[in-house]
Amino acid sequence: MTQTATPSLATDPVLLAVFANRLDSICREMQNTLLRSARSSMINVARDFSCSIVTAGNELLVSAEGLPVHVLGSQFLSEAMCELHADLAEGDAFLHNDVYLGNSHGGDHCILVPVFFKGEHVFTTVAKAHQADIGNALPTTYAPFARDVYEEGALIFPCVRIQKEYEDVPDIIRMCRRRIRIPEQWYGDYLAGVGAARIGERRLKELCAERGVESVRSLIQEWFDYGERRMVAALKTMPAGSFAGAATNDPYPGLPDGVEIRGTTTIDPDEGRVVVDLTDNADNYPGGLNLSRACSTAAAMIGVLNSIDPDVPHNEGSYRRITVLLREGCIVGIPEFPHSCSMATTNFADRVQGLTQTAFAELGDGYGAAEGNMGLSPAIGMIAGEDPENGRPYITQVFYGSGGGPASPIADGWPTYQLPACAGVIHKDSVELSEQRYPIRIYEESLVADGEGAGRQRGGLGSRVAFGPIRGNMISTYALDGHENPPRGVRGGTNGSPQQVWKLNVDGTREEIDRIGALDLDSGEAIVTMTSSGGGYGDPLDRDPELVREDVSEGWISPERAESVYGVVVSQSPTGVELDAQATDQARRARRAS
Amino acid sequence: MGYRISVDTGGTFTDIVCGAPDGTVTVSKAPTTPARIFEGVNEALTYAAEEIGISYRDLLAQTDVLTYGTTRATNAVITGNTARTGFLTTRGFRDVLVFREGGKLEPFNLRQEYPDPYVPRRLTYELDERTMADGSIAEPLHEAQVREVLAELEAAEVEAIGVCLLWSIVNGEHEAAVGALIEELLPGMPYTLSHRLNPIIREYRRASAAAIDASLKPLMQEHFRGLQQDLVDAGLGGQLFIVTSVGGIAEVDDIIERPLYSVNSGPAMAPVAGKVAARPVEDLVVCDTGGTSFDVSVVRDGYISFTRETWLNEIFTGHITGLSSVDVHNVGAGGGSIAWIDPGGLLRVGPQSAGAVPGPVCYGRGGESPTVTDSALVLGYIDPEYFLGGRLAIDVDAAREAIDRVIATPLEMSVERAAWSILAVWNEHMVTAIRDITIDQGIDPRESLLVSGGGAGGLTIARIAAELGCDRVLVPSTAPVLSAWGGLYANIVTEFTANLPMVTNAFDYNTVNTMLGGLDSDMDAFFERLGIADEGRSKEVFVEARYPYQVWELDVPLTTSRFNSAEDVGALAEAFHGVHERVFAVKEPDKEVECVHWKARATAALAQAALPAARAGQNGDPRVAHRRTWWGDDKGLDARIYMGAELAPDTQLDGPAIVELPMTTIVVYPDWSLEVTSSGDFLLIRNGTAD
Repeated sequence: MTQTATPSLATDPVLLAVFANRLDSICREMQNTLLRSARSSMINVARDFSCSIVTAGNELLVSAEGLPVHVLGSQFLSEAMCELHADLAEGDAFLHNDVYLGNSHGGDHCILVPVFFKGEHVFTTVAKAHQADIGNALPTTYAPFARDVYEEGALIFPCVRIQKEYEDVPDIIRMCRRRIRIPEQWYGDYLAGVGAARIGERRLKELCAERGVESVRSLIQEWFDYGERRMVAALKTMPAGSFAGAATNDPYPGLPDGVEIRGTTTIDPDEGRVVVDLTDNADNYPGGLNLSRACSTAAAMIGVLNSIDPDVPHNEGSYRRITVLLREGCIVGIPEFPHSCSMATTNFADRVQGLTQTAFAELGDGYGAAEGNMGLSPAIGMIAGEDPENGRPYITQVFYGSGGGPASPIADGWPTYQLPACAGVIHKDSVELSEQRYPIRIYEESLVADGEGAGRQRGGLGSRVAFGPIRGNMISTYALDGHENPPRGVRGGTNGSPQQVWKLNVDGTREEIDRIGALDLDSGEAIVTMTSSGGGYGDPLDRDPELVREDVSEGWISPERAESVYGVVVSQSPTGVELDAQATDQARRARRAS
Repeated sequence: MGYRISVDTGGTFTDIVCGAPDGTVTVSKAPTTPARIFEGVNEALTYAAEEIGISYRDLLAQTDVLTYGTTRATNAVITGNTARTGFLTTRGFRDVLVFREGGKLEPFNLRQEYPDPYVPRRLTYELDERTMADGSIAEPLHEAQVREVLAELEAAEVEAIGVCLLWSIVNGEHEAAVGALIEELLPGMPYTLSHRLNPIIREYRRASAAAIDASLKPLMQEHFRGLQQDLVDAGLGGQLFIVTSVGGIAEVDDIIERPLYSVNSGPAMAPVAGKVAARPVEDLVVCDTGGTSFDVSVVRDGYISFTRETWLNEIFTGHITGLSSVDVHNVGAGGGSIAWIDPGGLLRVGPQSAGAVPGPVCYGRGGESPTVTDSALVLGYIDPEYFLGGRLAIDVDAAREAIDRVIATPLEMSVERAAWSILAVWNEHMVTAIRDITIDQGIDPRESLLVSGGGAGGLTIARIAAELGCDRVLVPSTAPVLSAWGGLYANIVTEFTANLPMVTNAFDYNTVNTMLGGLDSDMDAFFERLGIADEGRSKEVFVEARYPYQVWELDVPLTTSRFNSAEDVGALAEAFHGVHERVFAVKEPDKEVECVHWKARATAALAQAALPAARAGQNGDPRVAHRRTWWGDDKGLDARIYMGAELAPDTQLDGPAIVELPMTTIVVYPDWSLEVTSSGDFLLIRNGTAD
C-alpha cells in the first residue's frame, strides 16, 4: 500500500473502525492456523485454544472469539516475557506455561512472539493451546490430587526462549520430546502454535508498514479509549449496588468440608466502575485446585462481562473499568510457590464466575444471570491408555455432550454451554472421530429431560454421557463439582440439577464411584456422567406458557413437571401437545395465592 | 449449435442471460413469480427474444441447453418452509441435531436464544442398533423396532425421512435395511440415507446433510419437474439442467434425488463467471454485491475453492450442509443498511436495514434513518434522475437532511464527509468477508484480481480493493447478472469419493491404483451415460490429506493418474507440504502424509455459449455529462459521467468519473483509472500500479 498522510484519528471515526476490523481479521487468521494445523483433538476439534494480540505495553488488544478463561490474562504472559528478557529480539518465540508468571494452568502451553517493526517492539502475539500432555506425573493435564507442583510433575517453562532468529532452540524441543507423552503430537501442536503466532507477526508488521507505527500506536490508544467509553456507558445504565456472594465447593480430598469461595462485587454506575474483591478467601491448600492469578482475574471478569452489553469491545480499554482485587497466597488469588494450580481453569474458577454474575442479578430484574454447569466431569475429562491392537499410547481430553448454561434475564440457558471457562465457545468431539482414533466406544450422548433449573427463563439442560474402552484399559481422570452444591438459580429461578457420575459394569450393574478420581476402566466397562443443568432466572410461574408447551412437546420436560413447577396445564392430542390456557390460568392463580 | 440460456431466479428478480452462437450475450430481467416460476422466466425470455430479434418460440426451440439456478432450496431451509421431516438415528444419539458440534461466536452473550434443531426432537427416533468404527456390528438392527418407529412416523404424518446411523460410512448395511423398510411400509415416501448422500466421517455433518436433503425432496421434486414440464410445453428444444453448489450443473433426474446440491447453488456460479471474465485465469476474488447481501468466492491456480463447511444461517448454530461445495462467504450488507452512532461515539453501519419498506430516506416512503444508498446519492455517485431507470422520484434533500441530523452534526463534519464515512464503514463488512475467505483458502488478495458483480458492486469496489491492497478490479459488462452469466459456461460436474486411508511412508501402490482405477471407471460410466465425447471429458482427482493426528484435510490435486514409484509418492507429499505451508505458514517436510479421501471430479463439457465476442468500437465520442461529486473531503469535484455502453474498447479514462450502465454504476475514484477491455468489460486500475 502506498503511504499517504493519515488523517488525525480523533476526528476520523472511519479509520478507527477500519483499524479495529483489521486487528480482528489478524486474530482470526491466527486462530484459523492453529485450529486447522493442530494435531490433538482438543485443539483441532474442540478448539481448546485461543489467540490474542497484546501491545508492547502489555495491554490486551484483541482476542476475537477466544476462550474467556484463556484470553483475559494474556497481558500477564507478555509482562513476564518483557521482565525476564531484556535481550528480546526479532525472531524470538517463547514457550510459557508458568502459573506463577501469569499463565492460566500448566496444561496450557503459550507461544509468545514479540513483534518488532524497524527494531522496535510493538506487539506480542499469543497463541495459547491446551495440550494433550505436559509430562505430568499421571497421564492427565488436570491433577486435582497433586499436593504441589512436584507431585503435579509437569515441565514448567517460565517463558523460555524456544525460537531464536526464527529457528527452534533444539535443547528445549528435545526436553519436551523426551518428557511429554506422544512427542510427535506435542510437536505438531507446538508447530501449530508457532505458525499462529508467526502469522500474526507477519500481518502486524504489514499493518505497521502501511500505517506507520506512530499512527498505529495512536489508533490503539483511541481504540482503548473508545472501549472504555462504551464500558462506562454500559455501566451507567445499571443501578448501584454492592453484594457479597459466597459459593461452597463440593468436598474434595484435602478439603473434606468443601470450601466457601467468597467475593464482593460492587457496581458503581456514577464512576463507571466494577470492583470484584476476592481477598477474603482461604489460604492456598495442598491440592491442585488453587487458582492462578490469571484464572482468578479471568473468572471474576467473565462474571462481569456476562452481565454487560456484549457489543462493548473486549480489550484493555473496557477492562480498565473492572478491578479484581486479589491477595497473595490465596486459593482464589495469587498462588504461592509451590502450590499447584493444575485445575485453575475450572472448579474454583467456575465458583468465582458464578458468584460474580449472580451478584449482578441482585441489582434487579434484567441484570446478571444464574449459574451454569461447573467442574471437570469425566465427559470433559482426560482419557489415557494404550491400544493393545497396535501398542500405541493415547492421551487426550475429551468433550462429549455438554453442560447446561445459565438462564439470563431474556434467554434460556444453552445446552452446549459446557463450563464458564469456555462459555459455549468450545466445541464437542465427534463420536466417529473419537472412535476412529481411540479404542473407545461412546454409548450415549444425550440431553436429560426434567432436570432444568426452572424459571421464567430456564437453565440449559444437562447431558448424560457414557463411554468406555473397547480394547485394553483406560484411565479416566476428572474432578466433579456441583453435586452437593449445584448451579444456583436467581430471582426465584430454581437451582440446576446436581452433577453425577457412576460406573457401569460389564454386566450392566451400576457402581458408585468417587466424584473426583482417576478411574481405571476395563474393556466393556463404562463411566457415566450426568452434567448439571443451568440455574433458572425468575419465577417459573412467570414463564410464557407457550414456551412450556413447546418444552413438553419436544420432550425437554414432562407434562407433570409442566404443571407442578410451572403451573402450566397441557394435554396430548394426536397432532401434538396442546396448551390448556384456562386451566393454566387457574393453576397459576392458585399457586400464587398459596 | 444453438442458443444457450441461463436463468437465475432470486427472491425479487429473475435474471436471464442468452448466449447466441456468435458470442453475443443478451441480458433480461423480470420480477420473480414464486407461485409458478415459469411465468417470470417466460416474461424475461420474451424480452430477450425481442432484443435478439427472433420469436420467443424460435428462441426456445433453438436452445440446446437451459440452465436454471434458484434460491428456492436455500430459502426453504432458512425459513423452515420444507417438508415435515422425520429423522432416524442410532440409540443414544437422539440429540445429534440439537448439539450440532457446539460452539458459538460471542462468548459473553447470554442473551441469545438457543436455535432449534433442524428436525424437531419430537420427530426424531432412535433405532436399536450399533455399527462400530471397523464396520463390525455391535448390535444388529431390530427390524421389528424399525417397523414400529415407521408406523409412528406415519401416524405423525411426516412427508420425508432422513436417516443417519453411526458408522454407516464404513458399513452401510443398517441404513440400507432401513431404506428398504421405508420403501416397503411407506411406499413413495421420500427418504435420504446419509452414507449414500455424503459419505463423510463426523456424524453431525452427515446427519444434518441427510435431514436437509430429505426435507427438500417433496418440494424440489415438484418444483423442478413443474418447470421442466412448462418448458417442454413451451417448446424448449434442448435440455434443462439445474445449477448445483459444486459450481456445475446436473440433470433434473439427478438433482431431485439429492436436492441438497441445489442449496446455495446460485452464488457458486459467480466464480465460474469470474473464470470466464478473467481469461487467462489467475488468482481471483469474485464478489457479488446484491441489494441485500454480499457473496465472495475465490479461484486459485485455476481451481474454484471448495469447502466442507457451508452453514445456513449463522456458523456453528445454523445448519451445516456438510457437502464439499464452492466456498462462498456471505454477509447481509445491502444498500439499505442503516448508519448510526453508538454510545462510544463510533460510526456504525448495519446490521439494521431499512429494507425495501420504508427503504432509504431518499425514496420518500417514510424512512428516517440514513442508509448506504442515501450516502451514495449525496456523494453524487448515483444519478437521481435515472434511479431505478427513472421509475422512482428521488429526494436528495431528504437524504442530506437525514445524514446531517444523525451523523454529520454529532460527529461535527460536513454531510459529504459523513456520507463518505458511511460508505467506508459499510465497506468494512465486505472487506472482512473477503479477508476471511482468503485466509481460509490461503490466498493473498494483494496478488489477486478482484472480479466485481452485482448491482451495487461498482459503487465502492475500488475502495474495498484499496483497503485490501489490491490494485485491479474487473467489472464484467454482465456484472449485474454475474451468477446467471456464469450459468452460460457451466458444465455438468459430479464428484465421486473413495475413502482409503493411506500413509505416504507405507504406501500400498496396488490398493491405491485399484481405487484410482475404480474412480476412473465411475467417471467413465458417468460420461457414457451422458453420451459425452472424449474431447468433452475432463477428469480431476484430488486427495484430501493431512499430517498424522490432524483432522482437517487439505485438498491436493494429483498430478499422476497412477502411482508407480517412490518419486510419484514423494511428489504427492511435496505437494502437500507446499499447500500446508501456503495455508498455515508452517510445514513439516520430513513428516509422512496421511491421505484420507480421494475425490474425483468429472466435468462433462456441454455445448457452451461462445466466449464473449470482442465488441466493435463505437463511432464518435460517448456522451459525457458532468456532476458534482465528493471524495472524502469537503471540496466537491466535477466528475465526468459516461454511458458505459457507448465506451469503445481500449478507452482509458481517469477518475474521478462515473460510468453508468443499465442496472449498475461503476465509480472511478480519483486515484484510479478505468480501461475498457477488448471484450467490453471494465478494468479498474489503481494509479501508479499498472504493470
